[in-house]
This record gives sequence, structure tokens and C-alpha cells, in this order.
Amino acid sequence: MNITKNIIISQKILLVHKVRTVLSLSGIIIGICAVMIMVSIGKGTEAKIISQITKMGSNVLVVNAGQVKIIAGRARQTKSVTTLEPRDALSIIANSSNINYAVPAQNKKLQVKYGNLNTTTNIVGTTADILKVRNYALSKGKFFDADEDKGSRRVAVLGQTVVENIFGQENPVGEMIRIGRVPFEVIGVLAPKGLDMNGADQDDQIVIPLKTALRRLFNLTYINAIYVQATDITSMGRAESETRTVLREAHHIRTGKPDDFTVQNQVSVLEAQRESSRTFTLLISAIAAVSLLVGGIGIMAIMLISIKERIKEIGIRRAVGAKKSDILIQFLAESLLLSIGGGIIGIILGITIAVIIAIFANWPFSLSLNVVAISFLSTIIMGILFGVYPAQKAAQLDIVKALQFE
Amino acid sequence: MIELKNITKSFQNGTIKTDVLKDVTFGVQRGEFVAIMGSSGNGKTTLMNILGCMLKMSGGSYALDGVDIETLDDDQLSDLRNKKIGFVFQSFNLLDGTSALDNVLLPLVYAEEYPDDARERATQLLESVGLGDRIHYKPGELSGGQHQRVAIARALVNDPAIILADEPTGNLDSESVREIMDILKRLHKQGKTIILITHDINIARYAGRTVFLRDGKIYNEEVSK
Ligand SMILES: Nc1ncnc2c1ncn2[C@@H]1O[C@H](COP(=O)(O)OP(=O)(O)OP(=O)(O)O)[C@@H](O)[C@H]1O
Ligand SMILES: [Mg+2]
Repeated sequence: MNITKNIIISQKILLVHKVRTVLSLSGIIIGICAVMIMVSIGKGTEAKIISQITKMGSNVLVVNAGQVKIIAGRARQTKSVTTLEPRDALSIIANSSNINYAVPAQNKKLQVKYGNLNTTTNIVGTTADILKVRNYALSKGKFFDADEDKGSRRVAVLGQTVVENIFGQENPVGEMIRIGRVPFEVIGVLAPKGLDMNGADQDDQIVIPLKTALRRLFNLTYINAIYVQATDITSMGRAESETRTVLREAHHIRTGKPDDFTVQNQVSVLEAQRESSRTFTLLISAIAAVSLLVGGIGIMAIMLISIKERIKEIGIRRAVGAKKSDILIQFLAESLLLSIGGGIIGIILGITIAVIIAIFANWPFSLSLNVVAISFLSTIIMGILFGVYPAQKAAQLDIVKALQFE
Repeated sequence: MIELKNITKSFQNGTIKTDVLKDVTFGVQRGEFVAIMGSSGNGKTTLMNILGCMLKMSGGSYALDGVDIETLDDDQLSDLRNKKIGFVFQSFNLLDGTSALDNVLLPLVYAEEYPDDARERATQLLESVGLGDRIHYKPGELSGGQHQRVAIARALVNDPAIILADEPTGNLDSESVREIMDILKRLHKQGKTIILITHDINIARYAGRTVFLRDGKIYNEEVSK
């Protein structure tokens, strides 16, 4: 038999029922589409996280007071602990050889007022070294210096979002604002940083000297974080264990007792993210598998319907010399064509949607060729797997009965 | 060329057994034009399906070109139908939504080799049955007589030795009947073996010999001039 010739003659018939055909392919289309979208979302978020970490500084360790657990990929402080103090930062610097900076910080959400406008934002009390550790840059004015911190001066550096909320287009530098009830002078504006890896707005904050924050605003003696910068990325491990040793000693924690702080390595945050995205991927794979299965059954159904409608055609073909295997190949080719068609539609649709998502989520669109190839291959397997039964049925039809079928 | 001996055929439907062919014995020479006559329900179509290797007989023997049909498997029977037999059915049996040309080409699709001049051959055959100007028409766009002429062209495309026609004029008006019968007569003159099934004595007259089927048996043969 001339296969291509046969397929050309028979496929003209399939096109008659376009709507039904497309409907029955929706399972495969949705399955493949989901795979395309999810894989590219996974890649997009990872690319974004990596770029966030680079912004934060890849050689930075974050010490949090108390235990921090990673829940659903996000770091959460379990309960507030009062043992972390500003002088711990000094001890870390003094007792280590792999650490450039250790910057203490405490934060709290408070209301901020300018004129009759107000907003609630995150107030971060910290020291001037935070500039170097967290790669902050200024778009206007200046940052406070060590003397202003020592003198508990009421000066504030605003994030871009805060400026927009209470100053609008006005230049805030030199103006007075109230944080809680305390008046502060705005001395600078931070350059925008965008969202952090958890999706929080990093520009919705005000940075003030730590001493000012603790004494005049928060009325606290303890802090909740120390940002530690290792000398370089290769000394991260040593920096982490030095930090740990110093803090345990400073907090008089006996061996065997758990830390009352948590040291987070940015790389391990990335690992945690990857871990949670792996779970996500697994879930998506399951969804994809189910919809592919449904898609396969859809193909089987349409093939069975199509064969029922074409019993006479099968009889005619057999009468003029088609072998059982010719009929089998014909219908197998049809189900293959259907599933490949569905797969291609799914791939195109999925990539289109993924590109749109990438534009809106502001991450680079990426999709490995492997995923496309595997998806395509699985549609081929679907077509064969779910086409065999109907095709077999068609091939086994009785010639005379098929010819007389009305 | 065709040798039937003591053919029997019965259908089993649940507990009911119908003996359709009880003892059919007859032969057909190469180049003969034979009519098989009998009233409705007599087993003419059943006999043709057996002759066309589409239906297994219950008993007896059938040799075609000296080959015992019983010894062939399903694939070999398909090949044999493709090469040696051209079918013309009462209900035409053309593929819907497929052009006259593609319908005629269909047997070639299943031939051992798809010939390079397939289209020319099919077009020529359609011209010879008077449809040269309608090769791209689909069955829905053709009349009954034209359907049957496409079917005849299809039966001829593989140049088979035998044409099996089961009441080819049963669904046609008298004008078309004449056209179709003239074509069959011409084919006979060109050397084809033709077996024509009919219940119409006027149609049977076209044949050189008429075989009567009654009660599942051949009971009379009549040679016309
Ligand atoms: N598959 C079958 N199962 C049971 N009985 C059948 C089957 N096929 C045919 N018959 C019976 O065999 C008998 C002969 O049928 P057949 O179609 O061969 O007659 P026919 O001579 O061609 O009739 P007509 O002139 O009406 O076409 C009928 O009584 C029919 O009911
Ligand atoms: Mg009949």
C-alpha cells in the first residue's frame, strides 16, 4: 500500500468535522499547554530569584533572632526573641576573620505623616554599613553616617514607594515627617530596588539610624536581624560557623541546646525555593499526566465515533483490496495526526501564554527545547496508545456487513 | 476460470439457522458474460460475496484461476480482490466527500505499487464512461447513473480479469440502465469476464449465458445467442 497516498485520500474526511475534532483534542491541548506554562513559570521565578540574590549580595548571611522556618518557600520567624542585641554585631566583627561587616537591624511597621498625607510603612533601624552590605544606592540626598547614628539623630532615608505615597512629585529632601509621633528630617531617597524574592516591595520602607530607632521610636533594646557580609563567596561557610560560634558564646548557650537565632545563607534560600518549586513541578506533572490521559481517552472516543460513521467506507476499502493492516495503519495514522495536531496547538498556545505571563511578571521568558521535545513525543505516544484499540476494531470489521451498513 | 463445486452457505443467528445456498455448482470460462438470476432473497448477493472472496462459504470448494480459495489467508484474499476482481454494487458504494477521480484511484492505493500514471489512467477510464468533464465532482454532485459509471471506472482501474456486478442497474432509470449495460457489453467485447447478478430477465439478456438460482440451488442454465 502507498501510505502517503492513502492518508491524503482519507484525511480529507477528518476535516469535515472540524469543531468536533478540535473539541476532542482539548484534553491534549490543555495538558501540553499546562506543561509549557508551568515549566516557563518555574524557570522565570528561578531567574528572578537569582537576580534578587545578586542584588542582595550573594556573600551575605542573614542572622535572625529566634528560629526561622521555611514555610512554603518563605522564611518566617516563629516567635519574637529578645536575646539578639546590637553588641552581638560588634562581637561578630571582632571575633572573626572571614567577615567584612555585621550590620544590626530592627524593624517595625509604623504610620508616617507628611502634612495631611500619611502611610504605614516598614521602619528599619540600622547602621550606615547597611549601604555596603545590601547594595543600597541613593537617588537623592545622602545616607546617615556613623556620627548621626551615635548621636541618635532624627534623620530618615525614604524608599521610593514611601516618597510616592506621601510626597508625590515633591522633593522630600530637607522636609520634616512624623514617624509615629516623632519628627524626622528626610535626608535622602533610596534608589528603587523592586520586589524581593517573596514578592514584597523593597521600596516601601524608611531607613533610620539604629540607635534612634531603638531609643526614640521602638523603645527596645534588642534587634531582630544582623546582616553579615563574608569576605567573599568562597568563605561563606566559614563566615557562617564563625557567626554561630560567636553568638552562641555571647548568648551563653550550652552545648546540646539549640540556637536562639537562625543564620540564613542566601544560597540555601535559593535551595529552599528550588525545593518548593520541585514540589510544584511534581504537582504540575501530575495535572499534565491526568489531562494527557483524558486527552488520550478523548482521542480514543473520537476515533471510535469516526469509525462508526465510516463503517461503510471501511467495507469499501476492504472490498477493493485493503488488508486488515492497511485499515489499522490508516486509523492509527489518523489518531496520530489528531494527537500531534493537538500537541502542536498546545505547544503554540502554551508558549504564547507563557510569553504573556513573562511580560507581565517581568521575568525573562525561557523554555528548554527538551520540554517541548518531550511534550511532543508524549503526544505521539498518546496517539499510538489510544489509537490502537479503535484502529484494531476497524481492521477486524466484517467486510460484507460493513459494506451493507447504512 | 471460476470453478464452484457443491457450495453451501448458512447463517447462524442465535438459534435460528438459515440455509441460503444449499448446493451450488457451476463454472465460468475466461471471457464469458454470465448472468445469475433469481428472485429477491434467493441468495444472489450471498453468492456474489463468496465469488468476490469477501465471505467464507460453509462447504464446497471454490477455485479461481486454479487456486483453491480455502488455502488463502486474509491478506492473500485482499490481494486477490485487488488484482483480479472489480466490484460493481447496486448501491454504488462510492466514498462520500471524495472526488470521482480519488474514488477511481482507491484500488490503486492498495495495489502492490502505486503506478506513476495512476491519475492519467483513472482520468482515461472516467472519460471512457463518459465522465471526462466530471472527474473532480463528488458523489453528492453526481446522478445515480453517473455514480455507477464512476463505480465501473473504479472496478476497472487495476485491470482485473473479472467484473462482479450485483444488480448494477437496480437503482437506475431506464436511460441509465441502457448506458451501464452498454458499457458492460463493451467490456465483455474487450475480453473481460463478467458475472452479472439480476432479477430482471431483460437485463439478463445482455449476457451470453444465464444461470438460475432457486432454493439455494442452480436449477437451469440457458444459453442465449
Ligand atoms: N448475515 C446474514 N445473516 C443471516 N441471514 C442472512 C445474512 N445475509 C443474508 N441473509 C439471508 O440470506 C438470504 C439471501 O440473501 P441475499 O442478500 O443473498 O439475497 P438476494 O438474492 O441478493 O436478494 P435481493 O435480490 O433482494 O438482493 C436472505 O433471506 C437473507 O435474509
Ligand atoms: Mg442482493
